[in-house]
Amino acid sequence: MCGLCGVFLTETHWSDVSMSRPGSGGRTRRHERLHRVAQANRILKQYGLKLTDWQGSAYLLASRTGQTVIVPSVAAVWPAAERLRKQSIDPLDERLIEALEHD
Amino acid sequence: MTSGNRPTPVNVLTGFLGSGKTTLLQRLLRSPRMERTAVLINEFGEIGLDHLLVQQMDESVLVLQSGCICCSIRDDLKSALRGLLSRRERHEIPAFDRVVIETTGLADPGPILYTLLSEPVIRHHFQLGNVITTVDVVNAGLHLSRNPEGIKQVAAADRLVLTKSDLAEPGQSAVVRDELARLNPSARLWDAAEDPVDVDFLLDMMPSGTPPVPARYRLEEGVAQERGSTAGKPTAPGELRRHTDSVSSFSLMLDRPMDWTAFGVWLSLLLNRHGDDVLRVKGILCVEGTETPVFINGVQHIVHPPQHLERWPTEDHRSRIVFITRGIDQGRLRRSLQAFCRLQVAELSAA
Repeated sequence: MCGLCGVFLTETHWSDVSMSRPGSGGRTRRHERLHRVAQANRILKQYGLKLTDWQGSAYLLASRTGQTVIVPSVAAVWPAAERLRKQSIDPLDERLIEALEHD
Repeated sequence: MTSGNRPTPVNVLTGFLGSGKTTLLQRLLRSPRMERTAVLINEFGEIGLDHLLVQQMDESVLVLQSGCICCSIRDDLKSALRGLLSRRERHEIPAFDRVVIETTGLADPGPILYTLLSEPVIRHHFQLGNVITTVDVVNAGLHLSRNPEGIKQVAAADRLVLTKSDLAEPGQSAVVRDELARLNPSARLWDAAEDPVDVDFLLDMMPSGTPPVPARYRLEEGVAQERGSTAGKPTAPGELRRHTDSVSSFSLMLDRPMDWTAFGVWLSLLLNRHGDDVLRVKGILCVEGTETPVFINGVQHIVHPPQHLERWPTEDHRSRIVFITRGIDQGRLRRSLQAFCRLQVAELSAA
């Protein structure tokens, strides 16, 4: 646990790993996290949810009514989002695919 | 860890009841290359028959005591691997540089892989190697129909070992081969009755030059032609095919380098909702910002840490991903990936 903010330090999830080679001119870690948040928000906005980075160590998932949860990785966002929305978020849902195709 | 601080590879040997796992293990253990191998055997039921058969491994053999490795004793697997580690460090057992886990015939490989990839101490000291699945050619249809875990074992395999093909009816072996190639085109086949034991081929994840995704598909609409397999063809008639019809495999090719971050977000969402039915995802990816390919490998909800390969196995540097799914609309999956990653995704079919 981080002594300053009380955040549990966990193993990095595979989807939170950057695959850019060091020195390749790829994104910085900070930029990478913001890009990951932006990508997740392309899905989440379809369900009235928004993700933000929290101190570079976790993510904040919020609904339009202000309900907020902290999640450690993008992979943990989806079950949390489904609990907040009380509905499944299915990447194979025809409506979601059409929304993404016109995004 | 072994000398040089490299994680010790762990191979999982699985397969239906009576499909020849122990026989294969015994053949492997006769190789001098296997001298420094620790073996974990899963004892199912009251009598450890398997233990009796391979007891010559003595100090390195550890029998897991409480039944099926997957559903009831994942903690035992954790304890067994930690115990091996501890005993090696204390020099109570000979040094070993590989572990082979023989599962029960009823084992779902998922929880075993999950334990190996997620338990903090184990993932630090051990590294998952090939999953080897034995398939009894004579009884493949019976096994796949009676054992719902059988298809998961086939899907999770990196190497599929055909056994008892010398006892099969003429043509039976070809039918099973074709069906296995349809179910899991990313696995490589080896016939235990015909071929001498090749330890490197069976146990090493990727011997140099081996493409993790086989070039056995052609692009729809004839954009690219590659030589290939029977995957996708209805070659397995009757009984065998009827039991595996809900499972399909397909391969996707992406037209240009992908945004790894976007792909990771999409795949994590797919596995969150459909992980039970994504029996396998395996691919070699051309990722923006890196010259070398990235290898991904997942079994249901469990994804290996993605890794950079040293080089592309062929001149074709486009991303290819093989999915083995159950009851998933593959056209919709392709469209979903295409829309989210903003790439053209072509579906490949059997050549």
